[in-house]
Amino acid sequence: MFKKLIQESMGKSPWLFHINAGSCNGCDIELVSVLTPRYDAERLGFKLAGSPRHADIVVVTGPVTKQSLPRVLRAISQVPEPRCIVTMGSCPQSGNVFRGSYSVAGPLSKYVHVDVDVAGCAPKPEAVIDGLALATQILKEKRGQMK
Amino acid sequence: MTIVISALQYLGYVLIFPGFLFCFLAGMLLCGIDRKLVAKMQKRVGPPVLQPFYDFFKLCGKETIVPASASKTTFLMAPLVGLAALVVIQLFIPVFSFSAFSGMADVIVILYLLLIPAMSVILGGAASGSPYAGVGLSREMVTIISCELPLVLVLLAVAKTVGSALGTGLCFSLSDIAAYQAMHGSLITKISMLPAAVAMLLIIPGETGNHPFDAAEAETEICEGLLAEYSGAPLGVYKLSHAIKMLTLTSLFVALFLGGLGTGFVALDGIILFLLCVVLTAVSISFVHAITARLKIEQIFKFYWTLVSGLALISLVLAWYGL
Amino acid sequence: MDLPFVKEALQQLFSKSSCAMYPVVPSEAAPNYRGRIVYHPDRCIGCGMCERVCSGNAITRMVEHLPEDQGDKITLTFNLGSCTFCATCADFCTTHSIEFTGDYHMVATKEEDLLVSGSFIKAPRKKPAAPAKAAAPEKAAEGCAAAEPAAEAPKPREDGKPVNDPAKCVYCTLCARKCPAGALTVDRAAKTWTLDEDKCVACGTCAEACPKNCIIL
Repeated sequence: MFKKLIQESMGKSPWLFHINAGSCNGCDIELVSVLTPRYDAERLGFKLAGSPRHADIVVVTGPVTKQSLPRVLRAISQVPEPRCIVTMGSCPQSGNVFRGSYSVAGPLSKYVHVDVDVAGCAPKPEAVIDGLALATQILKEKRGQMK
Repeated sequence: MTIVISALQYLGYVLIFPGFLFCFLAGMLLCGIDRKLVAKMQKRVGPPVLQPFYDFFKLCGKETIVPASASKTTFLMAPLVGLAALVVIQLFIPVFSFSAFSGMADVIVILYLLLIPAMSVILGGAASGSPYAGVGLSREMVTIISCELPLVLVLLAVAKTVGSALGTGLCFSLSDIAAYQAMHGSLITKISMLPAAVAMLLIIPGETGNHPFDAAEAETEICEGLLAEYSGAPLGVYKLSHAIKMLTLTSLFVALFLGGLGTGFVALDGIILFLLCVVLTAVSISFVHAITARLKIEQIFKFYWTLVSGLALISLVLAWYGL
Repeated sequence: MDLPFVKEALQQLFSKSSCAMYPVVPSEAAPNYRGRIVYHPDRCIGCGMCERVCSGNAITRMVEHLPEDQGDKITLTFNLGSCTFCATCADFCTTHSIEFTGDYHMVATKEEDLLVSGSFIKAPRKKPAAPAKAAAPEKAAEGCAAAEPAAEAPKPREDGKPVNDPAKCVYCTLCARKCPAGALTVDRAAKTWTLDEDKCVACGTCAEACPKNCIIL
């Protein structure tokens, strides 16, 4: 009985943690604009958590630079299970214009398993909400399969 | 036989009515109403009122990670100690004319017990071994110290007013204060108590650690400060004790200043208490949240020890001279 | 102590929220929004300009030779996960076969969902009629020092590849510079204009670039 309750609650209260892995900040601005009164993701339960240990969904922006790579991996490893990793924008998905640069360590999918990609440069806040809703679905399924 | 019945009765008090279940439901509902009101004031839609319940159950479903540099027992036990202390305080506060453990506790005990949840958060933060928690716990200690002085002055003012009316000097027993208000009307109707009531309204967000006095838990500055290393069920218990603290402090305000509004029936009194707590949360927690920015820790200290203590002191002086 | 937002907070408590409730209320992108790419392979000529100018290296062009003179199957793939949506490819496309729609819902769980591709068959170039080809070497062989003044303007070829009018041409070499396939060789000193027919993709860039309008397709 509690398992069903916990699984339902997992879908209604996903907390986000945002990591900027060397981004140009365009995607970061679109992400925080999702929390403003116009799009208000808080009515769907989303909240920006201050610490990775409090988060369920990790949103990564920016091509993963060589300098930020160990920090990004460490922050992601601190997120407790079940967790969902969302890459926002085309930079973490493929490097976009920065691919092949001396300081870019490549797409994030080389290092961790990425669950959802939200493409765009930068994606519209509505597309971000779509991507986060899909990530919440995946999170619910992961919780259902745990233990 | 009567021992068994009274034991069951006390168990019912502890677990159900002003005890654990009531605290859980009412506290979380207060927290949800607070978030919804803040969102409305900021022209947003805001989360549903049941959101803190979803948050709590979700946190129960997450994995609990104990950091390698943490001391495990303190880390896991600290939240439970805070929760137990808050439920005990709620048991000692009378619901208008009904008091679960009458005669066993008075205002001074509550004053000491109110320190325990703050200490449990500080201990939990210290046990997690993270530098962010170190900064957070020093700020939390300063916040609690700065709220203690005006709280003591307010309680002294109320105790003196009721005591001089009953002819006993200082009256610290909460059930006596409730009985006095049931007969003579609420204390807030006396002019000399108004500054103390305003001071208490300002103490409530400081004690609960709500915005703008949440320098201890500053999300953007120190990565959630004290609770930075908590995850899963212990974090859920901390969020629960934060919500129950809101209920406890607002019902303390009702018991001290609005005690004359009760009927004789316990169930109705419970509902009236809850509604009054909602109104108080809206005024002292949500409204102040929506219109201010976060204060620095020095500003919090100065605010409480000058303005709020000044208000409480005015009330104490007026009460001392019998006005 | 100054509390600036008291009036606004109280007013907004009782007024409607300014939230565009997105998933419940659908919302359209602004006009001319550069969203998901739609590729029209029927209009494409496979010149490869888009691949050359793409800033994010998002376009790949694959050519598969079909047996027996059936031509080439050219497949263009657009990787939306690498695209900057700058629309430079659509600007450079001479046949307008790349279109940026207003669809902004580009959310995928697998990388394959973000690939837009299409292919078309490019018919083999027809061999030009023998007399025309035989006439040209003769003319060149005769030297034509006394160039016949403005003979008839050259006729366009049947396979769509460019023909130069030597009477108007000033050998400025602009066409050779602009040719994306590098099929033109223009020697300014020797005053020659040569077309490498194997490399030419008949995109028409040379004719657009020519300041004297002497190239006909």
